[in-house]
Amino acid sequence: MAEEKTETTQKQPLVPLSRSDFLKIAGATAGAVVLTELVITGPLSAEAIQGIGAESHPHQGSAEYQWHMLIDLDKCIGCNYCVRACQAVNDVPEESMRWNIVFPERLEDGAEFYMNRPCQHCQDAPCVRVCPVGATWVRPDGLVAMDYNRCIGCRYCEVACPYDVRRFNWKVSDAPNPYHPVWGNAEVERRTRGVVEKCTFCVHRIDRGLEVGLKPGVDRAATPACVAICPVNARVFGDVRDPDSPVSKALREKNTFRLREDWGTQPKVHYVRPVKG
Amino acid sequence: MATITASQIRRPFTIWVIALGVIFLVGVYAMIQVLIHGLQLTGLSDLVPWGLWITLDLSAIALGAGAFTFSAAVYLFRIKRLEIMARPAVFIGFLGYTSAMLALAMDIGRPDRFWHPLVYWNVHSVLWEITWCVVLYSMVLAMEVLPLLLDSHYFDRWPNLRKMGHKLHRLTPVLAALGMGLSLLHQSSLGATYGVLSGRAIWFKPSLPVMFIISAVAGGMSLTLLATLVTSKLQHKELIKPDVKREIARIVGYTSLAYLYIKLWDWAATSYYSQAPGAASALERLQATTPYTTTFWGVEILLSGLVPALILLYQPLRRNDRALIAALGLIVLGVVVNRWNVTLSGLVAPPDWSPGVLGNVVAASYLPTTIEVLVGLGIVAYALLGFTLGARFLPIFKPRDTAHAKGSD
Repeated sequence: MAEEKTETTQKQPLVPLSRSDFLKIAGATAGAVVLTELVITGPLSAEAIQGIGAESHPHQGSAEYQWHMLIDLDKCIGCNYCVRACQAVNDVPEESMRWNIVFPERLEDGAEFYMNRPCQHCQDAPCVRVCPVGATWVRPDGLVAMDYNRCIGCRYCEVACPYDVRRFNWKVSDAPNPYHPVWGNAEVERRTRGVVEKCTFCVHRIDRGLEVGLKPGVDRAATPACVAICPVNARVFGDVRDPDSPVSKALREKNTFRLREDWGTQPKVHYVRPVKG
Repeated sequence: MATITASQIRRPFTIWVIALGVIFLVGVYAMIQVLIHGLQLTGLSDLVPWGLWITLDLSAIALGAGAFTFSAAVYLFRIKRLEIMARPAVFIGFLGYTSAMLALAMDIGRPDRFWHPLVYWNVHSVLWEITWCVVLYSMVLAMEVLPLLLDSHYFDRWPNLRKMGHKLHRLTPVLAALGMGLSLLHQSSLGATYGVLSGRAIWFKPSLPVMFIISAVAGGMSLTLLATLVTSKLQHKELIKPDVKREIARIVGYTSLAYLYIKLWDWAATSYYSQAPGAASALERLQATTPYTTTFWGVEILLSGLVPALILLYQPLRRNDRALIAALGLIVLGVVVNRWNVTLSGLVAPPDWSPGVLGNVVAASYLPTTIEVLVGLGIVAYALLGFTLGARFLPIFKPRDTAHAKGSD
């Protein structure tokens, strides 16, 4: 050890660094550079959150589309058709597990209405940020998707979601679905015990519909079940990148708001405020 | 094994071990029930998805922080006179982290997928970072505990194994540095778990990670010293010199004061000098429906903060062993109550999202079920049993160099 040190010192009299010192400094510098890269532009950067899970899942949708929903609270009559159709199509037998809820509400000025709440499909989704395994992510087409096979059931997404849209499978879901077949049939597999689920905007209908040339939001088979069944057209769906889509038209015509925009979550569900009387 | 005589059974030690063993076995039975029937057996719901076990997990990790604190003090900062604390601290830390992992394994819906965070990465999740740190740090703790096991007289017959243990022990400074780095990360991140959630005003603040690490250091040191003092009393041996004992007590006292100072400003800045609408309404709802105000001011601040700080920093009281033990016990209690309060406060008063006045949940409720409590008690019994047997049969309170020379009694 001592010999090695003197040798190095003799060879480089101006820089009295031992080899190990040099390696330490070089290593630390390289480490710092790599870390800076990672945090500023690389996979650790804030922008990279949009890409979580994107590379490893087959059905990603395309960034050509941006799926949004509009719910006109002034039109909703509280018939609960959307709730039942959702439970039938997505095979959610239990009331406590509902992905889409409707309940009587009142504004501060006394206006009575029915509040609707599916998943808000936030562009900056708190649930996506926190998932320790990337089992939930924002697809390029804006949908917040879920991988039930990757979910470990830690429920951090439930804790993070401020809109209370996520549901955990506390038990094996084996009850018969009370809404089959009158309100529709199961179009997706029922989830297993121990994972989290939530409203998907009927992603299976959108992906399949696009494959066979249908237009989600226009063609019923490619449109979320809740939108397709609404008897008063209180729900409108479509691609906001297409100026002629039903949702784009409705957004132009109506005054809308989103739930708790102050949270910065950028939901893709827009609401029309109910009017008194 | 020696036969057990009737007089041995009556000995308090035997009774204590048997009682813990029974509680542990009942806990194991409850755990099996949970694995079979799932989390429907708990009092948790979609509104309050985290409860008793998460509190237990957070507390066990926080109270295990004595391991990194004393390891760093002894092996990195070379504070020789604290060396007697390093081994009990590491041993307690190991028990704490294994308890925490046990609690987590019970709490996740798919324990069979516990390895997913190691394979599927989401670097934006604090929980992902915590998982990695806890797994790596548990390995560090295992490597720090192993020489201690090998130093026990059971390994007298295998000198080669013991030699390996000594080689491993030479790595201790490296392990201490690693352990400190990992601990500074995840102990704070556990606070950040709540602190980063922008939708929940009562949690969303940068002070939570800071308060978590400081309370963990105070709690971890307290538990280590408390366990040492109690063992000392029960074994009628002086395991730690009075001046070292008092020095640690003083350090804990100052750490508690630092914690109280930050906590006071956290409260003042978020609830007194400002009125963040979300946080204020959540606090009001907590006040109306839970004993939060009492447990926050009465337990966290007064009983487990100011009172022990006073005892530990006022010399005449610090010199009284009973007062000292009580103070350390109160700090340990305070850490547990704090982790419960932090976890439940954000969940019981959920955020308002409905534009109307009726739909927002005023307050959710949560009460652990019997089976949840039994699992929790089982895990605590595991840790206590581990420590009891360790203190009796392993050289955890012996200076390293003399441990195997004399052998354990």
